[in-house]
Amino acid sequence: MSGPIIKLENIWKVYQLGKVELSALRGVDLEITPGGFVSIMGPSGSGKSTLLNMIGALDFPTKGKVYLKGKDISLFSEDELSQLRGKTIGFVFQEFNILPNLTALENVMLPMVFQGVLSEERKKRAKKLLISVGLEDRIFHQPDELSVGERQRVAIARAFANDPELVIADEPTGNLDSLTGKKIMEILTDFHKKEGKTIVVVTHDSHIADYSEQIVNIKDGQIIINDKQAAEVLWAK
Amino acid sequence: MGEIKEYFKIALRNLKTRSLRSWLTILGIVIGIFLIISLLSLSEGIKEAINQQLETMGGDMIMVMPGSEENLMGMMMGGEVLEREDIMAIEKTKGVEDVLIMSYRGIVARYKEEAKMVFLTGLPWDQGLEILEKFQGWSLSEGRWPVPGKREIIVGKQWVIDIFKEKVRVDEEIVMKGIKFKVVGILNSLGNKSDDSNIYLDIGLYQDLTGEKRGSARVAMVKIEEGLSADKVAEDLKESLQKTRKRRFGEDTADFAVVTSEKIMGITNNVLGIIQSAIMFFASIAILVGGIGITNTMFTSIRERTREIGVMKAIGAKNSTVLTIFLIEAGIIGLVGGAGGIILGIICAKIIELYSQANPLFYFSVSVSPGLILFGLAFSLLVGCLSGFFPARQAAKLKPVEALRRYE
Repeated sequence: MSGPIIKLENIWKVYQLGKVELSALRGVDLEITPGGFVSIMGPSGSGKSTLLNMIGALDFPTKGKVYLKGKDISLFSEDELSQLRGKTIGFVFQEFNILPNLTALENVMLPMVFQGVLSEERKKRAKKLLISVGLEDRIFHQPDELSVGERQRVAIARAFANDPELVIADEPTGNLDSLTGKKIMEILTDFHKKEGKTIVVVTHDSHIADYSEQIVNIKDGQIIINDKQAAEVLWAK
Repeated sequence: MGEIKEYFKIALRNLKTRSLRSWLTILGIVIGIFLIISLLSLSEGIKEAINQQLETMGGDMIMVMPGSEENLMGMMMGGEVLEREDIMAIEKTKGVEDVLIMSYRGIVARYKEEAKMVFLTGLPWDQGLEILEKFQGWSLSEGRWPVPGKREIIVGKQWVIDIFKEKVRVDEEIVMKGIKFKVVGILNSLGNKSDDSNIYLDIGLYQDLTGEKRGSARVAMVKIEEGLSADKVAEDLKESLQKTRKRRFGEDTADFAVVTSEKIMGITNNVLGIIQSAIMFFASIAILVGGIGITNTMFTSIRERTREIGVMKAIGAKNSTVLTIFLIEAGIIGLVGGAGGIILGIICAKIIELYSQANPLFYFSVSVSPGLILFGLAFSLLVGCLSGFFPARQAAKLKPVEALRRYE
């Protein structure tokens, strides 16, 4: 596949907090190319969640351009962006964020419903995905009947529902014990290795970074490429 | 289409999860629709009963009663009567072909072991029978007409159906004020249950029995000569009645209601129209309150589910998808409320109908037309969707990133 899935070009994100302006991202350039496993690391408040929102095309930058598959997202309508995002990018959240009223199967089918996939097909694919994350005997369970680890596995299955090119995981193991967290990371790595999916994980846990092929460090809203630049960032005004 | 089914599923599950709140919101709509359906079907039934009665009266008839036309109801129930002189004046008026006088009142009738309040109508068998048979279509299903002056009565069709537990038959006796009257005939249906539940007695005997003045009458039914305008004859009748009163009794302000059957129909329809408008007005307030309840519930629900909305948008839901899901929820609340209100309304109206039929003074059937039911359902659905629209639009407009960030 040619060209990056997501390309960020001189991205600035400034939040207005009362009279104070807070720059969460300051001129970030980043490309997520197909097939990679990228970890975005940084301490709390470093701007990694804001960066993730940009990579996931969930938010628009104050300045700069975000390209989703080579197209400038600022040119899309909200609905077009939703549609394209749903097809191209899968999300795994720290809080799992699976819908509490739907069964595991229905949760995994939901992104396909939004893409207009036919009922039979989405059921088949959702089952297959749930089996691949080891939940074959939990298919018809409601979220409150599942353990936290199982819920996160449902979320992972959901993220892969539309066969996206990119899956973004925001602190996917943040709410899990280390053993469960390890399993979750193995599942994600499996998808990456077996199906060649591009994975971006946001974390502040250095263990997670062990799984990745590329690490992007972020601090004070800027990407730190090396120690020298890190020092510059730290001393910058 | 397949998606809509899924949206319904999501909406239903959401309502179920918050079932107590959903039911309470539904109750708000139930009350409003219940009011509309029960009261409208009752008033529609009353309207039909009155119109039926007027149709029985015939098209080219004029009804003359003492009292003001403006107060038709009070007049029908009031104590004033037409004096002998008034009746003579009516008979002499130009264009009048025949006059049938009658009086009526409620009375307790006893049959075998049972007693009930019924309507007793006094009629002159000697002169009135022709009008009754020819122009009002009276006929007997059994027996014969009473002999004037004899203690003989005929009864309406309802008497052989359900006025008393035991059916009334020809040659049996009915007791009123301790006096025995022999049933000599049973009428075929007169077209409305109210008339079919009456007892008909010679007017002379009626006046002896009730103590009303001999020769007077509560109402005179006037048959006009063919080809004449009912309105013109009505004018003349009024004039000659007023003249008579002035000459005989020195009254200047004597008032008579001289109304054609068409006019009565118009008046009753008007009155009931006003009543129905008032019902609609008050029921609409109830529904408005119910609608505000839906809006409130939806806003609360959206606040609670902000994160869910964010997730749905992140994984590909369009604004219209979120809007549709929340509109479906609000619509379901409205529709279920409407259906509940319709069922309760019909039950309530039927109970009142049963009660009215157990008491033969005023018979009517409630009128629940499919149109009314459809109106109730469509209206409640509309109220649901309208009430849910602003909250749903607010939900649809949420930015995914904000929705996800909120309440973290």
